[in-house]
Amino acid sequence: MLASVSSAVVVGVEGHGVRVEVHVAGGLPSFSVVGLPDASCREARDRVRAAVLSAGFRFPPERITVNLAPTDLRKHGPCLDLPIALALLVASGQLDADPLVGTGFLGELGLDGSVRPVVGALPLAEVLGSGPLVVPLRNLDEVRLVAPGARGAATLRGVAECLQGESPWPDPEPRRSIGAGGVVGESSAERPSVDLADVQGHPLGRLAIEVAAAGGHHTLLVGPPGAGKTMLAERLVGLLPDLTDQEALEVARVHSAAGPTRPGGPVSDAPAVLSRRPPFRSPHHTASVVALVGGGSRTLRPGEISLATSGVLFMDELGEFPAAHLDALRQPLESGVVDVVRASVSARLPARFLLVGATNPCPCGFAPDPRCRCSPAQIQRYVRRLSGPVLDRFDLRVRIERPDPESLFGGGAAVESTGDVRPRVLGARQVAAGRGVRCNRMLRGDALERHAPLHPDAVDLLRDRVDRGTLSVRGAQRVRAVALTLIDLAGGSPPIGVDDLLLAEHLRIGDVTGGAAP
Amino acid sequence: MNPAGPSHRPAGAGLPDAAYLATMAGLDLVGPATLRRLASLGDPAATWELIRTGRVPESVCAARAVAPRSQVERWRRQSETVDPESAWIRLRHLGIGVVALGGDGYPRMLLDDPDPPAVLFTLGDPAVLDQPCVAVVGTRKSTGYGRGVAHDLGRELAAVGVCVVSGLALGIDAAAHAGACEGGAPPAAVVGAGLDRPCPGANLALARRVAALGLVCSEVPPGTRAQPWRFPVRNRVVASLASVVVVVESARTGGSMSTVDHAVARDRTVLAVPGPVGNPASEGCNALIAEGAGVCTGVGDVLAALGLSGLVRATPEDRRETPGGDAATVLDALCWRPESVEFLARETRLDLRAVVRGLDWLERHGWVRRTGGFVQRAAAPPGGPPWSP
Ligand SMILES: [Zn+2]
Repeated sequence: MLASVSSAVVVGVEGHGVRVEVHVAGGLPSFSVVGLPDASCREARDRVRAAVLSAGFRFPPERITVNLAPTDLRKHGPCLDLPIALALLVASGQLDADPLVGTGFLGELGLDGSVRPVVGALPLAEVLGSGPLVVPLRNLDEVRLVAPGARGAATLRGVAECLQGESPWPDPEPRRSIGAGGVVGESSAERPSVDLADVQGHPLGRLAIEVAAAGGHHTLLVGPPGAGKTMLAERLVGLLPDLTDQEALEVARVHSAAGPTRPGGPVSDAPAVLSRRPPFRSPHHTASVVALVGGGSRTLRPGEISLATSGVLFMDELGEFPAAHLDALRQPLESGVVDVVRASVSARLPARFLLVGATNPCPCGFAPDPRCRCSPAQIQRYVRRLSGPVLDRFDLRVRIERPDPESLFGGGAAVESTGDVRPRVLGARQVAAGRGVRCNRMLRGDALERHAPLHPDAVDLLRDRVDRGTLSVRGAQRVRAVALTLIDLAGGSPPIGVDDLLLAEHLRIGDVTGGAAP
Repeated sequence: MNPAGPSHRPAGAGLPDAAYLATMAGLDLVGPATLRRLASLGDPAATWELIRTGRVPESVCAARAVAPRSQVERWRRQSETVDPESAWIRLRHLGIGVVALGGDGYPRMLLDDPDPPAVLFTLGDPAVLDQPCVAVVGTRKSTGYGRGVAHDLGRELAAVGVCVVSGLALGIDAAAHAGACEGGAPPAAVVGAGLDRPCPGANLALARRVAALGLVCSEVPPGTRAQPWRFPVRNRVVASLASVVVVVESARTGGSMSTVDHAVARDRTVLAVPGPVGNPASEGCNALIAEGAGVCTGVGDVLAALGLSGLVRATPEDRRETPGGDAATVLDALCWRPESVEFLARETRLDLRAVVRGLDWLERHGWVRRTGGFVQRAAAPPGGPPWSP
């Protein structure tokens, strides 16, 4: 007898529909899975057999063939356990076929017949569409963001009974939903845990992160250890605007697909409610390229740059990251997506992040102060790592000094809080939206010429810098875009004057060592 | 022991003496004094034959930990692996010349030296050393201030026809050479390693420029790596070539101080550039001044020491426009060490925009230099060459 059930597998951050067909016929007892399953998928046989028996069903001593269609898609992961088991029960006459028709199922089975959560439940649920859906109970919050009617499953036995109408579904009532344009989350309730009001001093650093948030400019913070680079970077994310519905869903999808193996926590830590707040990711320099940009030998998982999409990717100790890692960021920084290709599969993952780098000016961190004890060769090696192509990606490069002790002990002026600065950022983003871009960093070529006209004196200034070689032609254009953001933040309007350009120029130092390089 | 007769001349007959000396310079444990003793044995080709056959007189060997007998034996074994003729061809191929003590092209300043190099390997023109030479030296761990001073001195000395001599090391040496390359007169460099790798990679481009415009020379043959013990030995050549030695920045101990010792031993004038109190890179210079060395505050002091003071104005007048307004306030807040813009904003109580605007004016008018987010006063007003108005 033949039975079939709808399910899905995840590739990258997208779900792909899979039809699970089970055929039970006479012959020597056997259990085979066909249709391009990978090893983890083939192991389903053992889990399904144990779960079926544990749940008190009969395991048919016959010839069982499981086919996973379409057969050209490589299937990975245990999320097909539950649909295989259910189709097997139907095919062996232990379960009515009718309640399963048109319903999608996801879930890994434990040997005891329990239904365990799966990685990527959100994109899986999305592809299964609007029909009824049964998912592991612990994935339910996540899934209901896109499928409000989904039901939760705790055990194989329970699912069978609920489908037959013998017992009620164990899941709680839906709490939140995203309908067509529905509202999710409540950003006011999600206050960032850190606030700019905690940062004393750092006038330049505060300005830099405000400009970075407003203009979407990638930012490099250069300074000695303990100067407050990480503190500033963490507060940048609090200045960014709330995510749109689309962005929030995309972030949730990526985090769901990344699953529990990522630093970022177990499945239950994945954003079970859509968060309106942009993510903040801070990969360590010892992370692998795969952990950083995504991929993997068996399955395509999103990396840190995708987990940071619509948010901030903070790379502390940028100079310590291997050159290959920095190189792998080039395409995503240009295009906002990352293409991950493995032997048989490829996936396009979102990677639209604001890059914030932090680095010491030299290995000991003190250059150009006479306290620096690095040899010229050490400094040169450091400078080479942080030169040309790497530096070029940062519109803003700011020197962060240890704050003046006076300002640490309350001697400084009262400082603005995140709540004070954020409206200016949002205002600037709105002005940018009026130019047809998400932020001023996106203004290139003609668009920059049109939206960032220069005062004649400012033209002379830029020409002088290019002539003297302190700015490249490209660098001059980036300074111009930053100057435009400065104007937007101040509530002014173009043309760009000399003062704005001079400040923007100072926010883009050319030498991370502060002149210590020989 | 008798010098070997003509019948012992090896196959490479016809090679110039310098070829044999150049090969001997590459033997283990051969320093300048040993090489001079080898050279004094007579015909270098015959001396090479003595080395090859292990018959070098023990009196040639330096008093070292190594017993003379085993040293002679070591040379004999080494001589089996090198051949003066192919070494000479290789030198030609690299474009490297050899001048020998007592031979043509040997620098005059070195002739009276108590410890002259027996040979010098050269890239470029040794005749540039016939000009008055000034050594501009200092630490590798320099500050922006020191490199600024060294660069200006190098340029301004070269502009009045002085040959600037230094060691092509990172820091002060490199800054002085870079300045000299802009100035006009050919510069000269004395390096401690073989001329195939004369200096740290970062300075190779500079080394090529110095060789193209002037001279890069070394006491040791190509293939010799930079060994720490060679630097003080090299420094004596720098000191010996120069009529005046200017120390721009130096710690209390270090390579520049060995150059000073060699210069004092040779009766050369030593000048030191004063620096900020508390900066380790200037401690040596300030101490030299306290001990009675001359003070160098600009090219005029060096030329006076050279006896060429008539070439430039005694005190170059400051032709920079006097700053006003915020620029003046910012300049007042700036001492000689590099400061951040945040520091300036705090000191002057001006906002960032006003500070940056002031700095732009000051930079355009030659009062300050900016690097990597830091600002410091420009070292000295660029004094023009003597023939400029
Ligand atoms: Zn350092």
